[in-house]
Amino acid sequence: METAEPSRDHVQYYEHSIWPALIAFATGLTAVGFFFLMKGVMLIAGLLLVLASAVILGGFLYSDTRNWSRTLSKLGRIPMDTLVGAFPVDITLTIQIIIMTELLLFGGAFGMYFAIREQFAIWPPPGTPILDDSIARIQTLILISSSILVEWAIWQLKRGRVRAFKTGLIATTILGALFPILQFGVEWPHLLLNNILTPATNFFGATFYLLTGIHGAHVLVGVIAYGYTDIRAMMGQYSPKNHGFVEATSTYWHFVHIIWLLLFALMWQGSRV
Amino acid sequence: MKLEDFGTFVIFAAIYAASTLGLPKLLFLAYHIEIGVIPTAFVAIFGMPAVFGLTLGQFIAGIGFELSPIAMLSPAISFVGLLIVYFARKFSTLAGCVAYIIITSLWLSYMLPIVNGTPANVATYSAFAGQSIAVVIGYIGYLIAVKKILPRNAQPALKR
Repeated sequence: METAEPSRDHVQYYEHSIWPALIAFATGLTAVGFFFLMKGVMLIAGLLLVLASAVILGGFLYSDTRNWSRTLSKLGRIPMDTLVGAFPVDITLTIQIIIMTELLLFGGAFGMYFAIREQFAIWPPPGTPILDDSIARIQTLILISSSILVEWAIWQLKRGRVRAFKTGLIATTILGALFPILQFGVEWPHLLLNNILTPATNFFGATFYLLTGIHGAHVLVGVIAYGYTDIRAMMGQYSPKNHGFVEATSTYWHFVHIIWLLLFALMWQGSRV
Repeated sequence: MKLEDFGTFVIFAAIYAASTLGLPKLLFLAYHIEIGVIPTAFVAIFGMPAVFGLTLGQFIAGIGFELSPIAMLSPAISFVGLLIVYFARKFSTLAGCVAYIIITSLWLSYMLPIVNGTPANVATYSAFAGQSIAVVIGYIGYLIAVKKILPRNAQPALKR
């Protein structure tokens, strides 16, 4: 990837790359490939499509990671206020657009849930197990703690206490990482492998895995964003006047948190009504 | 509400919803205390994000239990009470909290007999006692926060 090094006099940053388009194409291939595989039709074609997308993604990772050491060393030399992605500009509109698109996605997903729910006289449908909400409660506690921690960290940064900020930010990332571990590593395997609730159980099962899956993927993205934020914090790239990316990441995280509260109410508590 | 207030909004919503849905019911004698009501007085410190947050939290907690139309009106009633706490903060947070208790308790006294079939007199004194205990606990926490923890310049709502 060709990158232009920003400077104090010229803070514009341009990056020309074919990879975003290729990754979007690969994502489409993956979706079609998995569709073929899951439907059991054209298995070879499905497998080939998934493999092709894996090759494209692998190519991106290879070409990108080759440049990481050079990019990171460059970032270390750039004056703080001209950092890539950390320009002293207002990012409010950017994050508002991101949140709006997420609202549309989750609005559609919850709309589907309520549309299905309306078709049933009794919800959840008979035969649905009452879900144990112990893990979900821990996950809720994790998200509340992480939201409070990141706000505390930003508050510290605004007062120039960088060390406390870094501690709070790393603690937030660790807490955030626990969430998908509990979901994809503990709860889902427990429900699926013990045949307690699967997507094939009934409509409740299908919507449960769809909604919690979409949400879990968003949590993963949030954890990755926090990891990236941590690296930049360790490199001393944030200051009381320059922390837009941290604010943006925390706003995204809070949004994911709100969605979880709705899921917790509808999926776990709602399964008891 | 500015974007940087989004965190406060979500945290208050989470505290209300999670404490109502996730924590066991807190009983004091015959009264059911709503833990989510405890942070009411903190509206005077955190301002409108807390008002909206607590209202949304109540709405989320409501959909976890039932979807009866009358119960779904509770967040709107609570919102009015929280607004009073917010606007009363400049002369007396305590007066705002008392108004909140009266408004929400009257609503609960009207709603509970319809939704749960609770006898009217039991609903009335349970609502007043439960709301009063929760709000007073929060008010004590608020006083401690204002006098001992928060510096004057860290109280955004009080400054406005």
